Amino acid sequence: MNNGNIYHILLIALGISLWSCKAKNDFQGLEFAPNMYHSVPYEGLSQITDENEGNWLSNREDGLGEFYNSNPNNPHYMNMREPVANTVKRNEHGYLPYRIHKDSAEYAGRVLTNPIDSTAEVIAEGKTLYSIYCTSCHGETGQGDGLVGKVFLGVPAYNLGRVKELPEGQIFHTITHGRGRMMSHGSLVSVDERWKITRYVQILQNQN
Amino acid sequence: MSLTINLRRFVPTIASIFFMLVYTSLYSQDADSTGVDSGLNAELISAGETLFKNNCLVCHEIHEQKVGPALADIHNRRPVDWIKAFILNSQKVIQSGDEYAVNLYNEYNQTLMTSFDFSDDELNAVIEYIKSETIKGPPVQEVTVAAGAEGEVARESAFSAKVITIFLVVLLIVLVLILVVLFILVSVLTQYLKQKVELSDEDQEIVFQKFDFGQYVRSPAFIWVMTFVFTAIVAKTVIDGLYNVGIQEGYAPTQPIAFSHKVHAGDFQIDCNYCHTGVRTSKNANIPSVNICLNCHSSIVKVTGATELSTEIQKIYDAKANNTPIEWVRVHNLPDLAYFNHAQHYEVGGIECQTCHGPIEEMEVVRQHSNLTMGWCIDCHRTQALNTKDNAYYDKLVEFHDKNSKKPMIVEDIGGLECAKCHY
Repeated sequence: MNNGNIYHILLIALGISLWSCKAKNDFQGLEFAPNMYHSVPYEGLSQITDENEGNWLSNREDGLGEFYNSNPNNPHYMNMREPVANTVKRNEHGYLPYRIHKDSAEYAGRVLTNPIDSTAEVIAEGKTLYSIYCTSCHGETGQGDGLVGKVFLGVPAYNLGRVKELPEGQIFHTITHGRGRMMSHGSLVSVDERWKITRYVQILQNQN
Repeated sequence: MSLTINLRRFVPTIASIFFMLVYTSLYSQDADSTGVDSGLNAELISAGETLFKNNCLVCHEIHEQKVGPALADIHNRRPVDWIKAFILNSQKVIQSGDEYAVNLYNEYNQTLMTSFDFSDDELNAVIEYIKSETIKGPPVQEVTVAAGAEGEVARESAFSAKVITIFLVVLLIVLVLILVVLFILVSVLTQYLKQKVELSDEDQEIVFQKFDFGQYVRSPAFIWVMTFVFTAIVAKTVIDGLYNVGIQEGYAPTQPIAFSHKVHAGDFQIDCNYCHTGVRTSKNANIPSVNICLNCHSSIVKVTGATELSTEIQKIYDAKANNTPIEWVRVHNLPDLAYFNHAQHYEVGGIECQTCHGPIEEMEVVRQHSNLTMGWCIDCHRTQALNTKDNAYYDKLVEFHDKNSKKPMIVEDIGGLECAKCHY
């Protein structure tokens, strides 16, 4: 009986201690084989800057913590860096990056033409992209009545006044660099995607 | 005869009604033509109204400040030539060093007004319209009925919830009362039987029986059942606990900025892809950079309902000003030994974000919804039909599959259970 009691008490203790291993709020939960959860290579999204983290199981040659995976040579110990100054990224079409200055929207409107034809497929794709990146402010039908647009204020309707007449090059330029209170969306959508969105915006411009 | 008499009696009344009608119509015409009286051109006003609504209304109201200043009385504040020059090219006016323009520019957070390529007639029309609106004065605020109705619905649902609670509490009280009454009845009856009535032996045994608790507890059957229940509970806890090791389901870390997905993805319905730009194109969904926050928060500086700049939004501006990264805490962490690709699942497979991440649009703080174990992956790969529509890559596979099977092609059929698909 005595042995049984001790056995029971041990079991309860084990149960409670294991139950408390569950992840909750800020506690990530007990890790099984912790080395596997922490990336050895540099990882942009799960970066550990504390040199001593994981000291208790570290067998690293440099004597630092097992989980430390930041790059001390970069600003803020970051793992990602901006491209080297005065270099450009190559892309699949061999385009040079878009280089018209952000203040030259009207010039862009005069000189640029859409390299992507207006096919049903392109327009469908443009519509999908539009609904992701533009609808919040410009609204489903381009009336400037998106849920965010109503709070943001100053979002014009595509089919009225000055905006109705905007040439495709200027639409492309506006997506890339922003205009007035609209900020640049060049980092969100690629060059191709911008031209596809332009195709769809032109349809919205011409609605009544 | 009687008819004429009646008419005669009514003549004064009819006359007074007639005069009242004439008077009111004259008066209302008067109210309408205030513009004409002040020397404004009605035709010009209507042309100006169209121009104003199509171009200016986006940023300007006549009587209240919107993105730009309220325009009422602008013709008295500034000379007409200045107004025209500013509409045509505000940047030029500011650069010329015009004091008023420079102050205006700085007052409105250095927001440039778009240039409008209006003709002189159009400019005159817009100014004429603003003049006429200034004379009219601000519109009387009407109480919106819709908002009231919405509030009523909310109140109603709150009301019904309250009613249910009250009902349950009353029910509970009644049940307890019944229990008490029954107990009293039993004890009274026992008392009565004890004293008054002569009972047979059998009945006496029933009336005077005593409940021996100790005897029940000490019986082997009871001990056996209790031991079994106890051991089962402990064993279940231990096994559950063991399964929890290494599983981060429920992890909801505090982030450096109290960002609410409920507000952004829920209330404002911003598409997940807007901020998580990697979902369509890469392995990682990506955490948005500061410039993406600023796309909206350049102008939206207050939390809904607040009157002052939000301290949480201020953190974005600080990050930008100091050029420091915002160190978001990663919630979903798949070990390096397993490969997972967002684009493959979302863009190709057409799986909704919520399938794995749960009701993100309702979460104030993001919580890991799924356990991300291998069993969880495999369960889905065993049942999920492939999204092969309009995807030439799958055409031959589907053709081959359909020859041999009548069921839809699932992930398992194209090797979704192979070890090396995810572990390599």
